[in-house]
Amino acid sequence: MNTPHLTIDSLRIASAKSAGQMLVDGVSLTIPKGKSLCVIGETGSGKSLVAQAVMGLLPPGLAVSGSIQIATGTAINAGDVSALRGLWSHTTSIIPQEPGAAFDPLMRIGPQLGGWPQQSQAEISAALATVDLPASAKRLYPFQLSGGMAQRVLVAHAMLSDASLVIADEPTKGLDGPRIAQVIALLRHLRDSGKTVLVITHDLNVARGLGGEVVVMRDGLIVERGEADQVLREPAHAYTRSWLAADPGHWAACETCLQADDIVLAAHHLTGGHDTAQPLFRDLHLHVHKGEVLAVVGPSGAGKTTLGNVLLGLMPPMSGEVSWAGCDPYRDPNGARRLRRRYQKLHQDPTTVFTPHRTMGAQLGDVVDVTRQALEPDHLPALMDRLKLSPQLLTRRVGEVSGGEAQRLALARLLLMNPALLVADEPTSRLDPIVQQQTMMLLRGIVAEDGLSLVLISHQRNLVTAVADEIVELGIQNVSSARSMLHLAVEESAVS
Amino acid sequence: MSAIATLGISNNAAPLGLRVGIALIAVLALLCLIGPWLPLADPNAQDLLRTLAAPSLAHPLGTDHLGRSILSRTVHGAPRSLGIAVICVAIATSVGLLLGLVAAAGNRWTDGLIMRLADLVLAFPGLLLALLLAGLMGGGIIPMMIGIKLTLWPQFARMARATARVTLQEAHVEAARLAGLSQLHILRHHLLPPVLRQTISLATLGVGAAILSISSLGFLGLGLQPPTPEWGAMISELLPYVAEAPVQMAAPCLMIVTSVLGFTLLGEGLTAQLVGSDT
Amino acid sequence: MQRDEIRSNMTLSPLIRIIAVRLAQALATAWVLATLCFAFVHALPGDAALRIAAARVGEDRLTQEITDRIRREEGLDRPLIVQYAHWIGRLAQGDLGNSLVTRKPVLSELAYHARFTLGLGLAGWLLSYLIALPLGLSAGLRPGGAVDRTSQGVAVLLASTPSFLIGILLISLFALSLRWLPPAGYRTGWHMLLPALTLALGLAAYSVRVIRNAVVDVRSAFFMTFAQIRGLDPATAFRRHGVRSAAIPIVTFMALQMGYVIDGFVVIETLFNYPGLGDLLIKSLLARDVPMIMGTGIIIGLMFALANLLADLACLWLDPRQRLQGAT
Repeated sequence: MNTPHLTIDSLRIASAKSAGQMLVDGVSLTIPKGKSLCVIGETGSGKSLVAQAVMGLLPPGLAVSGSIQIATGTAINAGDVSALRGLWSHTTSIIPQEPGAAFDPLMRIGPQLGGWPQQSQAEISAALATVDLPASAKRLYPFQLSGGMAQRVLVAHAMLSDASLVIADEPTKGLDGPRIAQVIALLRHLRDSGKTVLVITHDLNVARGLGGEVVVMRDGLIVERGEADQVLREPAHAYTRSWLAADPGHWAACETCLQADDIVLAAHHLTGGHDTAQPLFRDLHLHVHKGEVLAVVGPSGAGKTTLGNVLLGLMPPMSGEVSWAGCDPYRDPNGARRLRRRYQKLHQDPTTVFTPHRTMGAQLGDVVDVTRQALEPDHLPALMDRLKLSPQLLTRRVGEVSGGEAQRLALARLLLMNPALLVADEPTSRLDPIVQQQTMMLLRGIVAEDGLSLVLISHQRNLVTAVADEIVELGIQNVSSARSMLHLAVEESAVS
Repeated sequence: MSAIATLGISNNAAPLGLRVGIALIAVLALLCLIGPWLPLADPNAQDLLRTLAAPSLAHPLGTDHLGRSILSRTVHGAPRSLGIAVICVAIATSVGLLLGLVAAAGNRWTDGLIMRLADLVLAFPGLLLALLLAGLMGGGIIPMMIGIKLTLWPQFARMARATARVTLQEAHVEAARLAGLSQLHILRHHLLPPVLRQTISLATLGVGAAILSISSLGFLGLGLQPPTPEWGAMISELLPYVAEAPVQMAAPCLMIVTSVLGFTLLGEGLTAQLVGSDT
Repeated sequence: MQRDEIRSNMTLSPLIRIIAVRLAQALATAWVLATLCFAFVHALPGDAALRIAAARVGEDRLTQEITDRIRREEGLDRPLIVQYAHWIGRLAQGDLGNSLVTRKPVLSELAYHARFTLGLGLAGWLLSYLIALPLGLSAGLRPGGAVDRTSQGVAVLLASTPSFLIGILLISLFALSLRWLPPAGYRTGWHMLLPALTLALGLAAYSVRVIRNAVVDVRSAFFMTFAQIRGLDPATAFRRHGVRSAAIPIVTFMALQMGYVIDGFVVIETLFNYPGLGDLLIKSLLARDVPMIMGTGIIIGLMFALANLLADLACLWLDPRQRLQGAT
């Protein structure tokens, strides 16, 4: 058995304000030297606090107890921030959540990579090479790096530094499929070079890809721990099981038994984008039948949202035509006005689709008023009930409801307009996995019951295969390999 | 001065500042309302036998170089300085908001025209434009008000345009448009609340800046014309006698500082509370 | 859309763009002032030729002949639009005319008075940063500390005080009570100290807070923490990474403050009877000396545009994002 390199013993973190509410409740864990450990958990599980505690970066106003022992040092009281900060650089280092914010925006990367004492230029170039960056990256300013590049620079920095323990805090936040695989490769690389790695993540794929030990946290407690293979294949705890079941890759296959008789939405020879020289999609054909689910997938920046806006009549295409059951919203303004409310959008971030100043009830009422339809008096309560929404939510404002509730309220508002087709733009990407599953199942159920059509935009291929009848894939067509690094970086930052 | 700038008071001091500011403004507003009805001497009645008199029962703050009661002139000056400042800012705010919203919602040409117009006014430093207008037109209340409003509106237009453009991009506006809600509804319920939230603190600070401008113009002899009791002009008139009549001098000085202080504290407090101090 | 903006900005060098914008600003102020003065001259009731003749030869020697000759010479019988073009054309050639009061060329008067104002403005500005930099830095390094709270209170009070009041207080204290310094006028360099201090206190009220907030913001930025994680001690991290970042909002604010400087010297020069441009402007305004008013206004506008240009260039030099990307 290897000697432990990091030992956390009964770490407790309580909020000093709200009378001793435990945020982290007795977390103990050890990582042997040169191994990795993933702490996985949902938002609010306290996993990030564990990372911050080890780095001595906890925000003020928290009551902390427990001890942390790193490498051959003595056990340090977890509340002793200055002692923990004294380990920076020579013992501990971190790859932060927002890699872009880690560098001085006014200084080139090279001088910032050299630690203290200064590393030689050759060493810096070698470290950059191991993360597939050319030595010329030293000359770039931080704003010229994309998020992925900044993260690779941070990994290079961790390899250069003397730190034997590297913490990666949510390294895949906001990344899509292929880039997640890159991050996993980088973390493996870091571990194989002899560093001890503590990964904080909400992404099961990271735990699966990295292997090693896994700790599952919920509400500040460790509910399960063990080897990644075993925990992810045969979870012992009910919570881990429900979480794994919520992973779209495990959902039941979609029933394609619905009658598809007439076409609700079609597009012919559609070309669109923001830049006429480089359209995001070209000569696209698609048909959506009544009750059908069409998925649009592709990496971020591929033009998925733009395509959705073009289909909804929000942004004219460069060429080609959109047909709403035979009427082109861009050429037939009368038809567009008549059908406007039947083609609707479910937004990515439900907290922004309601204005913060009005109650939910008033905003749903606005829509009822404007549709001027004679609704049954119990129409709204019935709808709320169907969407598993409590009527009390109508008296609240958007800041006072959860993300899942906000998304269902947004769906309720759309259903009040009796739509024929919904474009759902990453409707669950801001939600935690279990809420995501519930919301997506609800959406699928409603689409099936009401005979609605759905265009589902997503970067999660496994989610889409679980739900969709048909898939359109958009690729990045506008990045050619001959471009200079600077161009690429500017372009990536413009897209994101 | 005419360019409204925030000091960026720290968050823990802002609530106290807010309360003090509201208290000061409440006292001043009361003074403005009941001041003219108080049994005071005529502010313009001269008494050349009792010039620069020390405080007495008849004239509790003494008299000026023409024997006029300082207390009476100071009290009668309040509704003028504060009233003109509030009216100027109210008009400048409305015009600025209207033009800013039109620029944000309009096409490239409307937007360009309005914003270049704002740039043109902002190309003049501080009070210069107000000074020139008031000076060329011979002083008095109307040129001064035109000058102050003219220098104030571009800031409100810029702020309204910036906030409106961000808000118009937000998903709740797109959702409202998709639902077919009217332009008026979107303006009232989606656009105005965030814009007004930004405006209210800027406008409060603007009243303070306007009081400073009015008193500066009065001091320079280009504002309200004698014998109107106006604080800046009173200070200018008493300046040669500052050594003999320090009490008389102190009264209008304190009034200016108190009223600007009230609006500054209120504005800074509102900025910290509503907008956040990350400016 | 974003991408288009970035590309179009990259085609134009940021340096050229900045200079073009500020040049346009200078020309625009000159044009507005000239138009304003032209409109004023022609909006006055009565015969313009008669007024000019009276100003030139004196009321008592005024004859119909002279008036008619001036009307022809000055082109006052031509259509208004032609006169306007002529007015702007003369300005474009740099001809500002003669003062109606002293009869001397406006340009030489401006050159004489501008020296005093530049001296006062520069002294006041430097003095304000002598006060504000140490105070702002020490307040920013210990937010919530004694220096921070005291300087905040004094700043709020000073910002609520018109500059002429600050001046009167200083005169009462240093000139009338203590008799250390001369109260007004200009004969020796000591005469500049009180006006400069008045200007500096008004400026420092804002810049102390701006410097303090810039320092606090930079110190709480994550890259400063990360610099320490990389192994720098806090003082080195602030020297290497903090100072430059904090300087950008401070320099940007300096340009904004030029508006206050100009308001300040107009009022302060009048108060101290100091022979600068502000004093000249107010005297010309009270005397309705239109060529003088126009000339002074244009010079002040140019000074403002120049100060803005210098601040823009300083930011460009400090901030690689602006240099390479052109986007702000």
